Amino acid sequence: MSLPFIHRSAMLCRRFRASLNLYDHTTRIPNTTIRLRVSCSVGEANIGILQSTEEYKFVERLIPPSRVPIPPKHDGPSPSGWTPPSELPPALPYMIRRSRMHNVPVYTDLTHGSRKTTLVRKVEGDIWALEKDVNEVTMTLRVKGHFDTELKEWLVEKGF
Amino acid sequence: MFRISVAVCGRGISKMFASSFSGENALPSNLRIPSNLVDRARAKRPPPPSDSSLPVLRRCDAAVPVHLSPVQTWVETLERRDSKLLGLVDLHPDVFAVPTRIDILHEVELWQRNFKRISHAHTKVRSEVSGGGRKPWRQKGSGKARHGSIRSPIWRGGGVSHGPRGPTSFYYMLPMKVRVQGLKIALSSKLAQDYLHVVDTLNIPTPDPQYLMDLIRYRHWGESVLIVDAGEELPENILQATESLKTVNVIPAIGLNVHSMLKHEVLVLTLEAVKFLENKLLWHDERFTPLYPFKLPYTDLP
Repeated sequence: MSLPFIHRSAMLCRRFRASLNLYDHTTRIPNTTIRLRVSCSVGEANIGILQSTEEYKFVERLIPPSRVPIPPKHDGPSPSGWTPPSELPPALPYMIRRSRMHNVPVYTDLTHGSRKTTLVRKVEGDIWALEKDVNEVTMTLRVKGHFDTELKEWLVEKGF
Repeated sequence: MFRISVAVCGRGISKMFASSFSGENALPSNLRIPSNLVDRARAKRPPPPSDSSLPVLRRCDAAVPVHLSPVQTWVETLERRDSKLLGLVDLHPDVFAVPTRIDILHEVELWQRNFKRISHAHTKVRSEVSGGGRKPWRQKGSGKARHGSIRSPIWRGGGVSHGPRGPTSFYYMLPMKVRVQGLKIALSSKLAQDYLHVVDTLNIPTPDPQYLMDLIRYRHWGESVLIVDAGEELPENILQATESLKTVNVIPAIGLNVHSMLKHEVLVLTLEAVKFLENKLLWHDERFTPLYPFKLPYTDLP
């Protein structure tokens, strides 16, 4: 019985204080900010406004970059399993570029609820050497069935 | 691949079909091409050979992928009427040698035409036409057909039942990357068809429009020319010269669009414009998806 009584009394105190505006609603401004000196008296001229730009760095370091960073150098697979592309492209008539996030461009697709296909994008060069059913205009290659892990491993092995 | 095939087709096509006129390999009439279709004077400018003596005035700023090499083209000058070549310039293959997708060009061109369109066609419905609140004559007994109002759609002067309703907007946005790809494809096809010329600056000696027309005709560039510079401040002479000309236009590089490139036959870029375009168009290949609109500040926008 005592606990709800204390709770109720605390709430009453809070409401009483809020009604009398005893809480300080202004935000705590740190000392190093834009200082404004505005004169109060009517007859004097305005002294001026001081602006300091040293605090801009606190905002600037929060602004994000817009470009995907180049991944750090790894010899072989990284701990997460990502493998960097080989330095020299393999000597094959076609070339498969990495995506903008430096991954192998193999994607799975599920249409009509149960139709599984695997899509290989960003194929350049002579893609007929890869497979027969190929879309030369859009530089893509569609394979029936989900083979994304095998295709990715095979492409990484080749060095793309 | 497309570039070579287009170049080969353009140059060899008149030779291929010339023999059809003599009747040796008679083609059907719908495949016969007249001999004056391909301008022989334009076919005289081959692409720069790899062992040319002229200096390369500009290399690509961004990294070129390892399996591709930059495309090269001549740098000319507008100071003199005769075509003196100043040097070579390297163009990034991911901007100037992308595979040509005509469907993307078509999409972007249609978008450019339609997204600004607001059709103001408006017709009045039977409730909006003035009058027609009262039943014209009684339902039965007058011998006439039964009607409820004189402004129904079957009446002369009545409202339109399924007409255009008010200003309709045809606004839609294609994805940013599709529009960027459209620009890249347009630039690549201009280069592939030999309609792209790079110039060092746009300083011409006189503000006379006739000088520009003579220059274009002497160098066999084409009918209409679109000149692109990087910044907003363009030299006075070229502005005055192109003001009165209908087929020659100057724009800053931010104003480059697929419709203008397709409308004008020839595209002339300055070296700064090439640098600006490469910088802006290649950024889209390596950027994140926007956290917030790109109009707001990021650390490294192009």
